[in-house]
Amino acid sequence: MAKRAKLEIMRDILKIIRENKGMIKPTPLLRKAGLSSGRFKEYYKDLLEKKLVSESVNDTSDKQILITEKGSKFLERYRTIIEFIDEFDL
Amino acid sequence: MLPPQIGFELIYSFVIIACSLLVYHATREMYDLSKYNGIKFFRYSFLFFAVAYFFRYFIQFVLLSLGLNSILDFSPNFIGWVSLFVFLYLSSMAVFYLLYSLMWKKWGDSKLKNLLFHFLAVVIALIGLSFRGAEMYLLLNMIILGFVLFVLFIAYKDSKKKKKDSGLFIIYLLLFIFWILNVIDILLPSFLQLFQLIIYLISISLFIVILYKVLRKSGN
Repeated sequence: MAKRAKLEIMRDILKIIRENKGMIKPTPLLRKAGLSSGRFKEYYKDLLEKKLVSESVNDTSDKQILITEKGSKFLERYRTIIEFIDEFDL
Repeated sequence: MLPPQIGFELIYSFVIIACSLLVYHATREMYDLSKYNGIKFFRYSFLFFAVAYFFRYFIQFVLLSLGLNSILDFSPNFIGWVSLFVFLYLSSMAVFYLLYSLMWKKWGDSKLKNLLFHFLAVVIALIGLSFRGAEMYLLLNMIILGFVLFVLFIAYKDSKKKKKDSGLFIIYLLLFIFWILNVIDILLPSFLQLFQLIIYLISISLFIVILYKVLRKSGN
């Protein structure tokens, strides 16, 4: 996969989680994201820090990654953010 | 009785402070969601513009109401020195952050770069305080303008490669030129007196255009 811009990768990861009914296990998320393990970890840490995703453990002790309300808002506003960045050459 | 020009200055400052704070506020959500550096520096720039214009008004108020030629003649002395230092420092930071919002991808984002901007702004403010001659003030502002032109030219060339509209750079260029005229107006009150109304009207128009673009693109 060609190198994508940071915000675009964040958008793609969040979209994968949302399309999976808002939660997904780490391994399928890594596979679907199409990133190397190292890059995925870096972006995942970033998403957690920005509170765009959260983690939870289900009844069978499996770790699940959930999209937060803020993460959904980011997806809603993604187009606006990108257009704003382009408009002001930021 | 206070001279009527104080009311005129108040309206001018109020419009620009309001525009700057609205830009800062309108971009808050986008920054909270993305934590994107370009948006951060853009916001900082307008926050600094807002506070700088507040100090600019304070200095103009003192100059007009007391009939002084320089804020440094105000007694007690330290109030004049501090307000001019803060005004020069904040206005330099506003300019640096706006340039940084265009160039951060090229220059990189580090604490050291941020510190360098603060250091340069402090140096500019200290030079502004130390030398009280018109030639020195004009030279200082010409150096800043030269730096701004150089950075804007690089950003403009990059943007041309992406085949983008160059309207933004014209607005920024005018904003910087008119900001410098605003600074000169404070340092040398009688120097631009004849053109004051034109400078104020163009400055207000530039801030309103930027605010309009921000509100349109931010979906507010």
